[in-house]
Amino acid sequence: MTAATPQAKGWVQIATLADLNRPRPLIPVTLAGRRLVLFRDDEGQLGLIGRHCPHRGADLCYGRLEDNGLRCPFHGWHFNRTGQCVEQPAEPEGSRMHEQIRIPMVPVREVDGAIWAQVGVELEQAAAAETEA
Amino acid sequence: MISQHLNDRITRIAPGTPAGAVLRQYWQPAALVDELAHGPLVPVNLLGERLVLQQGAQGLELATRVASPEEAPTHYPASDAIQIDPTGPVYPTETRAGLVFAYLGDGAPPPFPAFDCFRAPDTHVFAFKGLWECNWLQALEIGIDPAHASFLHRFLEDEDPADSYGKQFRDKAGATEIPMTKLLRDYPRPEIKVDETDYGLKITALRHMENGHTHVRVTNQIFPEAICIPMSREMTITQWHVPVDDQTCYWVTVFTSFDKPVNKDLMRAQRLKEHRLPDYAPLKNRRNDYHYDPAEQAALTYTGMGLDINVHDQWAVEGMGRIQDRTQEHLGRSDVAIIRYRRMLRRMMDALEQGDRAALPMHGAGAAGILGPLSNDAIAETADWQAVSRAADLARRAACPWDATV
Repeated sequence: MTAATPQAKGWVQIATLADLNRPRPLIPVTLAGRRLVLFRDDEGQLGLIGRHCPHRGADLCYGRLEDNGLRCPFHGWHFNRTGQCVEQPAEPEGSRMHEQIRIPMVPVREVDGAIWAQVGVELEQAAAAETEA
Repeated sequence: MISQHLNDRITRIAPGTPAGAVLRQYWQPAALVDELAHGPLVPVNLLGERLVLQQGAQGLELATRVASPEEAPTHYPASDAIQIDPTGPVYPTETRAGLVFAYLGDGAPPPFPAFDCFRAPDTHVFAFKGLWECNWLQALEIGIDPAHASFLHRFLEDEDPADSYGKQFRDKAGATEIPMTKLLRDYPRPEIKVDETDYGLKITALRHMENGHTHVRVTNQIFPEAICIPMSREMTITQWHVPVDDQTCYWVTVFTSFDKPVNKDLMRAQRLKEHRLPDYAPLKNRRNDYHYDPAEQAALTYTGMGLDINVHDQWAVEGMGRIQDRTQEHLGRSDVAIIRYRRMLRRMMDALEQGDRAALPMHGAGAAGILGPLSNDAIAETADWQAVSRAADLARRAACPWDATV
């Protein structure tokens, strides 16, 4: 499925830039047995996050790419490229629940026309490390 | 989030499971009356059992058929290819509202409550079903979640409500000229109230509008696995989420008209166009990405999966996986009815394990006299929403050509 990176331990190529060169830049990715979704946001940055919405498990591969992130079509929960939930439009006005909701995220980078992801770290740990960085 | 143990307990329905025991204490839709044209023997795959409808001495009964463990969950053999298993159980049936119901439980079956779908004459009801490839509970839970309609079923443009016959959410809201699609889009944060009733749960979604008015939508959970919801001003939907096995279910719906006789030919043709026979599997499904179209998603619908809201629901529940992993879920305030329902189901599983069958809803004296349930949309001045919702229901019942009085 993926080739070992020549560049750094723990990074594997998961796609090429051409794979995302489409009107809706989003593709499903399976990495180390985990189902993920890779997308490009409005700022042109990549996000690689868990495929199921943390609310009730809907499949984010069919999500709406809008507002600089990915929105679940089930209840409109909106996630940025780090997997952080930034909006829950069906929850009461002023609700801060979204601050506690985060989808596991895998670090990802673009090098020479290829997209690489960091494996070998539990996805949740990777997400935590990204928060601290 | 719940534990894996609890998720197993509330989802698994094979013989001998606690949730399966609760479901077996109620009449289950086993087949459409339409399916009886299949031949003298009609296969039925229900609650993990491989069964067959046949004419017995007491009328139609649900016997056991010989089946290979490799059979597909919805395997539907020809009548002359079915072999009865004389060692298996035989269950009683009752035919109501275009459906053959079967009772797979111990003891005497409970009475049918006097719900509208069972009181309406045959001219005013129409039954259909469709396959969803997932566990029954996640299928039920989308039906007791009033918030999702503002997103999953959002139309970015409104159709003419005059073209709405037989379709959900295409009518005008209450007694106004506002298309339901616009109202759902404009007010996505319903205030949700849940009341426990003698049949299950009454779920009221209040969408507070600008001018001191409130849209009131009343839907219902009918224990254990049905819902009763408004479809249009003319019709309601009573829908069971019937397990085939742990990973497969049918929605089985009775459409009930409070006005004109149902145009059954049109209703059937609308739905047969979206399904294949004999297993009533939807033509749009996960194997063809539900005909997902990103351009449509950007311009016309929230999902990009066409205008049929059944497909949206199917995508939402099948996309969770065959049995939703509730150890990973995060329920919010919008999920209050789901939380209340699970609490009720757990209480009833516990009661049945204690041998307290009478604790189950619609098992006590008077169950046959349970009417309704109230299921409608209304727009009211906010202070009056309860009275207006009730009055709108009574007005519809008063004008109904069959006896819908409560």
